[in-house]
Amino acid sequence: MPTETAEPLIREIDIDAAPETVFEFFTDPAKLTRWLAVEATLDPRPGGVCHQVHEGAGPEHRRFSMEGEFVEVDAPKRVVFTWGFSGPDAVVRPGGSTVEVTLSPIDTGTRVRLVHRGLPAAAVADHSGGWTMMLARLAEAVQGA
Amino acid sequence: MQAVLEAVVEPRRREILRLVRVGEASAGSIAAHFPDVSRPTVSQHLRVLRDAGLLHERRDGTRRLYRTRFEGFTEARAFFEEFWDDRLAVLKVAAEAEQRRKDADRDR
Repeated sequence: MPTETAEPLIREIDIDAAPETVFEFFTDPAKLTRWLAVEATLDPRPGGVCHQVHEGAGPEHRRFSMEGEFVEVDAPKRVVFTWGFSGPDAVVRPGGSTVEVTLSPIDTGTRVRLVHRGLPAAAVADHSGGWTMMLARLAEAVQGA
Repeated sequence: MQAVLEAVVEPRRREILRLVRVGEASAGSIAAHFPDVSRPTVSQHLRVLRDAGLLHERRDGTRRLYRTRFEGFTEARAFFEEFWDDRLAVLKVAAEAEQRRKDADRDR
């Protein structure tokens, strides 16, 4: 396992919808599958499962299993879940990284701040070869999705 | 980014990156690690990796020496940024549509 990790990745987006509405898109499988995954099993409470199936856009339509777990669930303000992939090649293993989502009310709706921590640093890229495998999988999962 | 991803999709190319991550190796000694792969195929892999910016190549007389070029992987971070930017953009559209639907139900 890589011991060195990169700076957390931080993204923000403003959404013209109430925090309650946005929050459901992280905890309701029928809604999470509208933007992030093709299948989801979610038990939104600390320690509950957060499993997501991502489908590759390639001709094989390979499926990638993101096996996470909810860490914090505080509707409609904050949700934290672990992010990692199963399989012998995955460098970000289940529990290996964490996605923290914070929702703040703003005039027009909700500001979403997403912090992804624990991604391996590029410098340890090929200690196991897993980082490149992870990239390859994600590339397939995301392209044209 | 596309070139990086295409380069790392092939398992033997990932193996080559592992071989030369610590020190330089010649094309010949890299090829020796793959007895089941033809020399031209190994050369092709090296070219793909070099062109993707993942391998540094230098000549020493008639030999070509290779080592992993880690700067090439900094794009990996951009990949994750793009992943979340794309997903969040879709979330925005979906959540705003959901909000309009809710508001319409309430006003009915």
